[in-house]
Amino acid sequence: MIPLVTSAIGLTVAAVIILLIRTDRLHVTHGIGWLIAAFVMAGLGFAPSIFDSIAIRLGITYAPSLAFTLGFGLIVIKLLIDDIERSRLKMRHTRMVQRMAILETEIRRIKKTETEPETETETETETETETNA
Amino acid sequence: MTATGRACDFKVIAFLQRQVTRLANTVNEKETCLVVIPALNESSTISSVVASVKRAGFRNVLVINDASDDNTAELAEKAGAIVINLLERLGAWGAAQTGLRYAIRKGFNSVITMDADEQHPVDACELLLEELSSGRANVVVGACPERGSGLRKVAWTWIKAASGLDMQDLTSGFRAYDRLAIRRAASWRGSLLEYQDIGVLLLMQRHGLVVVDLPVNMRSRAVGGSRIFYNWGVVAYYMTHTLLLSACKRIGLSPYKTPAVAPKVFL
Repeated sequence: MIPLVTSAIGLTVAAVIILLIRTDRLHVTHGIGWLIAAFVMAGLGFAPSIFDSIAIRLGITYAPSLAFTLGFGLIVIKLLIDDIERSRLKMRHTRMVQRMAILETEIRRIKKTETEPETETETETETETETNA
Repeated sequence: MTATGRACDFKVIAFLQRQVTRLANTVNEKETCLVVIPALNESSTISSVVASVKRAGFRNVLVINDASDDNTAELAEKAGAIVINLLERLGAWGAAQTGLRYAIRKGFNSVITMDADEQHPVDACELLLEELSSGRANVVVGACPERGSGLRKVAWTWIKAASGLDMQDLTSGFRAYDRLAIRRAASWRGSLLEYQDIGVLLLMQRHGLVVVDLPVNMRSRAVGGSRIFYNWGVVAYYMTHTLLLSACKRIGLSPYKTPAVAPKVFL
């Protein structure tokens, strides 16, 4: 019974992933990984003996514990990768908000100068070229 | 006139010349310095802070409105500041970094960051700038270790132990940055920081820049309170965050030798 349930879950997840990609709620790039995971889950459900043989070769007497450990490890890695990506996106988002605000101010000041000419105190001598050295 | 009298006159002339040069330098330094004031709902104090900075001879005052709910931006503009309105709240450091990025775009030589709540003494801006222009440091921190509660002092002790930073005032936002320090702080590495205190100081240190303390007298906050030391939950998060950052950055502490791999898109 359990293999059937596992396979059903795997196939359902695969169907949901396809649906999410179809309705533009999930990027194809992210969908690939999830689809692979779903099909692996379904495949293992249909053929649990694969895991049993691997467990025996590794000297693990209780095969499901190998599945749980591997599954848990993969989830942890996935979460870590997601957090790394989130950190990068947050940084980019912050910089975009900053740049947009700066440009908005510059546009406002240019418009103001056009309507009422005045002497500018600061001079635009350089553009923001970022170095990481 | 006797020889002694002439020597005395020369001394006076030399002294006056030095004073004139110093004054000219100060004026020039102020002209090329941008005072950055991050502000969040500071309508009660922003006008007076901007006005007093302008009175102190700093013509370039930039207020970063950190998505305030009140009319902080309007008042700052009326007081004569350039105002940058952030589309969403980035926090004190995010706002200050916006000012640093603006300074790079406009070619300023130095930046002074200060709070909008009248805590930081405007007359000390000149001292910070003088210390910076002496070339002894890349960042000068206006330090007032006497301020703050007992809790803040305990926090500082722990942070000092974790980070290895030997500074009197770790959390002061009253700072002067030179050109090099501005570039480092405005970089993408700086954008990963949440707070302006330890992370920025460690970033400077890792780049081999010199940070020094300069004792100043700070006033107590007239309106509002600290953004961190007001709630136990926030304090716990701040301490965990800061201690982890300090410990992680301390391991293998050495100046960045090679350019780090930068994100593909710079914004």
